[in-house]
Amino acid sequence: MIFDLANPSQLMQALGPDLLLIVGAIVLMLWAAWRPESDEHQRAVGRASLALVAATIAMTLWYSTRGMSSNVGVIAVDNFRWATDLICLLGAFGAIALGMEYNVRERILPAESHVLVLFATAGMMILAAARDLMIVFLGIELMSVAIYVLVGLNRRSPKAAEGSLKYFLLGAFATAFLLYGIALIYGSTGSTNLTEIGQRVVAGNFVAHPMMLAGTGLLLVGFGFKVAAAPFHMWAPDVYEGAPTPITAFMATAVKAAAFATFLRVWLEALPGMGDAWFTPIWWLAAVAMFVGNTVALSQRNLKRLLAYSSIAHSGYLLVAVATGTLGGSAAFLFYLVAYTLASYGAFAVVIAVGREGDANNDLSDYEGLWHVRPGLAIAMAVFMLSLMGFPIFGGIGFFGKWYLLMAAIEAPRPLTTLAVVLVLTSVVSAGYYLNVVRVMFMKARPDGAADPERTGSLTRGVVYATAVAILVLGLVPSRVIGWSRAGVPRAPQIQAASVDAPR
Amino acid sequence: MDRNYIPVLFLLGIAVLTAVAIIGLSHLVMRSRPTPVKQQPYESGMPPLGDARERFSIKFYMVAMLFIVFDIETVFMIPWAAYYRQLSCAVPLVGGACPAGQISFFGLGEMLVFMAILLAGFVYVWKKGALQWD
Amino acid sequence: MTHAMSLLLQAANPQLPPTDGMFILFGLIKAGAAFGIYMLCVAYTTLAERRVAAWIQDRLGPNRVGWEGFLQPIADGVKNFMKEESMPGGVNKALFILAPALAFVPAMITWAVIPFASPLPVPGVGLIDMVVADLPVGFLFTLAISSLGVYGVTIAGWSSNNKYALLGGLRASAQMISYEIAMGMSTVCVLLLAGNVNLSAVVSQQQAQGWNVLLLTLAFFIFAVAALAETNRVPFDLPEAESELIAGYHAEYSSMRYSMFPLAEYANIITSSSLIVALFFGGWDIPFTTWDNLPPWTITKTLATMGMYVSKVMFFVFAFIWLRWTVPRFRYDQLMSLGWKVLLPMALLYITAVASMVLALDYAALAREGMAFRGAMLGMNLVFVVLVFWVLDRGRIISPAFSRLERERVNRLRAVAERSDLLTGKGA
Repeated sequence: MIFDLANPSQLMQALGPDLLLIVGAIVLMLWAAWRPESDEHQRAVGRASLALVAATIAMTLWYSTRGMSSNVGVIAVDNFRWATDLICLLGAFGAIALGMEYNVRERILPAESHVLVLFATAGMMILAAARDLMIVFLGIELMSVAIYVLVGLNRRSPKAAEGSLKYFLLGAFATAFLLYGIALIYGSTGSTNLTEIGQRVVAGNFVAHPMMLAGTGLLLVGFGFKVAAAPFHMWAPDVYEGAPTPITAFMATAVKAAAFATFLRVWLEALPGMGDAWFTPIWWLAAVAMFVGNTVALSQRNLKRLLAYSSIAHSGYLLVAVATGTLGGSAAFLFYLVAYTLASYGAFAVVIAVGREGDANNDLSDYEGLWHVRPGLAIAMAVFMLSLMGFPIFGGIGFFGKWYLLMAAIEAPRPLTTLAVVLVLTSVVSAGYYLNVVRVMFMKARPDGAADPERTGSLTRGVVYATAVAILVLGLVPSRVIGWSRAGVPRAPQIQAASVDAPR
Repeated sequence: MDRNYIPVLFLLGIAVLTAVAIIGLSHLVMRSRPTPVKQQPYESGMPPLGDARERFSIKFYMVAMLFIVFDIETVFMIPWAAYYRQLSCAVPLVGGACPAGQISFFGLGEMLVFMAILLAGFVYVWKKGALQWD
Repeated sequence: MTHAMSLLLQAANPQLPPTDGMFILFGLIKAGAAFGIYMLCVAYTTLAERRVAAWIQDRLGPNRVGWEGFLQPIADGVKNFMKEESMPGGVNKALFILAPALAFVPAMITWAVIPFASPLPVPGVGLIDMVVADLPVGFLFTLAISSLGVYGVTIAGWSSNNKYALLGGLRASAQMISYEIAMGMSTVCVLLLAGNVNLSAVVSQQQAQGWNVLLLTLAFFIFAVAALAETNRVPFDLPEAESELIAGYHAEYSSMRYSMFPLAEYANIITSSSLIVALFFGGWDIPFTTWDNLPPWTITKTLATMGMYVSKVMFFVFAFIWLRWTVPRFRYDQLMSLGWKVLLPMALLYITAVASMVLALDYAALAREGMAFRGAMLGMNLVFVVLVFWVLDRGRIISPAFSRLERERVNRLRAVAERSDLLTGKGA
């Protein structure tokens, strides 16, 4: 079915899963406010939110099997959108499931915490669908505003307040960059639609146009901040450490996935004609992010901070996919995103399981001898660490993720051999901290007097083992995932040189 | 630029000049005889306790935030209202009226969706007690 | 050549708009003259307030300076000029001096877009609109500039370094912004009927369709209440409630700096009255005749309509003063809940109803100027008025000191007391 996006009712149909989530979230928001704050109410709203996310996942899956497409309009209807939607929705599912138990432990009472995750996810889905810079802005705002609040959810924690304020101020600043970039691109091409911008850039030879260059640069800064790529990563460690752990997991995966998906779509659909201009900056961004993330992570003792730096490094890996500028790169990007999301979620779930009230027990020393008291958690954590590192077999799908990324980098029309070498070398560096976690868990004795971790809630345990199993199983059949992600590359409406309007 | 704006500038100029003249003239004419007691902030005859610019109730901030949201809604509604006849007509208006059989529910529907979303937020803040003063 | 000809023709025909040069010249004249008259009106409104207050309270009021006290405002002005300016320690000097001007200037330019008479034909020049500036954005200008008045009040309160002043300033800003929403929304209904934000267009719509107060009484009610609150007048004078806050945000001001605040307040009263007249009472329209609405325009028509307009505005100014000396003050929580919990939902509901009704009547292909359209709107309006005033408000939403609900409760308690023997002493 081909949607005619100029027709309001067909536009509504094309936005089906997004609308389902938004309307459901509004209803849940009212329900959340209807009763006084309590653990039971928080759990009840959480369960309803899980059901809503599940329903949205089902609808998205149904949409994705229909082979739908659309004409040129404000939103995209392609498999790339559905794939990103699914990753973000799975992230939301995990965040809500983990949050239901984490909130009880940390005495976070507001039931709105789950609703805000839903709103943020709605923003991500809008981002994934956006084929117009205004819609990109709308999605970024909807997502970010909800996340600003979520980071500061724990009102008793000064770290959370610091993280929230830091993220809010820097985020507002980055959004301003993005908005200026949009304005300049609109100013030079006369359009905010990605497809039209792409056509006009090719037709009007904008590569050396100063306003367009400035716009592209500002856009790059804005996106760089949102995906926490070095050197725009300064906020990430503090915010990741201060935020409630489920929200940290959500930010490290779903937020990053959505921002990256938009980044990729804007770059592949609107700015391929500007390739010469943005290739070098992105190359450097990727290299710096990989280098900074992996080396700084070596010295981290707090697991949440360690994972924050690891996520900066992974932004670098994903930027390699963007730098290829090819559809093969975007397939590798989706594949890698799946692997990274699963492993990060699992790792953060283990952090929640080991942690204690007051967001304590996140230090590396608290993991010493974990194998002796919680063997299941230790094995799962080992899988996640190996997967994040890209270790074969035991790292499951993580290895193939890096493999396809390298392949895409080397096969690109402008081969990224040096970048591929940097990727491999920094991965080797990353072994220094990933394997250290494994070593601490298995080879060190449990310190005397160290209390056993508390009983893990069933939902947290579910997330830990589900992600671990998924990583291993998908690692055995990577072809399924790569097939899925190949089908999911953004399908730009055919560029027809004849129909290009003369730029004003 | 529309020439109708020019008289507003004249009026603004006259008003600003008058304000400056009144304040300036009264400053020149008056005789100043300050005394330490006269210089104190008035606090019902008591010696003032500390600085007046203290922290004040968070409710004022909340009202200000809600105002931003609802005022933007109003500002959005005003052009909608002024353009309502065209919005509820499927074809361009003929002589200020919609041709027979061309009425569309687009204008009303859009505003109802907008209002419903805003109303949900309004009910939420009401239920949360943000509109409650004690 | 043809352009020059048309310019000449324009200049020759007083029924056509003037040329640019003449327009600017007359713009300056209008602005200057209107400003002078306006300042005079503001000054005499202060006298009117005092005389009406005296009349209501059965005393004489100021009647010594000039005939019946008519020179009193001038005497007040001279006195205020000679007074010492107080500048307590710890004030923020720049803002303290700036604040009165910030309150005064917006109050003085808000009314620029309100038309006050039918166009005036000037021979050899052209047709001069009897409005200082006939802006295409019309009403939006009023809304924008009047909300700037909040700055003056808030800055005055904050810069004074006085606790009463700070509280007054905060209260004033919270109150003004709260009621601004209801005010804006009530005018949306008017714009739905008028289809234009230009106030001249709103006036001509009312000439064709009848006054909006008949078609949109509820909107008028909301607007009037909001206007009272915007001007910080009784029953909404919480920011300067003398029994609680001495004088509120201008507690530390004296001399002419102080006088700017009352000047701004009275200017705002006149502006609010003018807006009520322009939006709901037909502007300069003379009721029951179409003689004044149609060209050719003459000087007689201009004078007659201006007289009509002035008398309407004077009535509302009187109503403002009348209210002040009649009703008691709200409590602050009542004030906020009236604005947010009553007026705002009411306005939203009313907008939906009016928009649906207009759509339904358009669907039935009724002409807007026809009797059927007006009758239907009037009917719906009557239903709403009855609903609001006799069904909804029986002391449940806004609780006055003595309401029907209270009375019922008192009667019930009394009945219980009579049944029990405790009070009569028989049981013990």
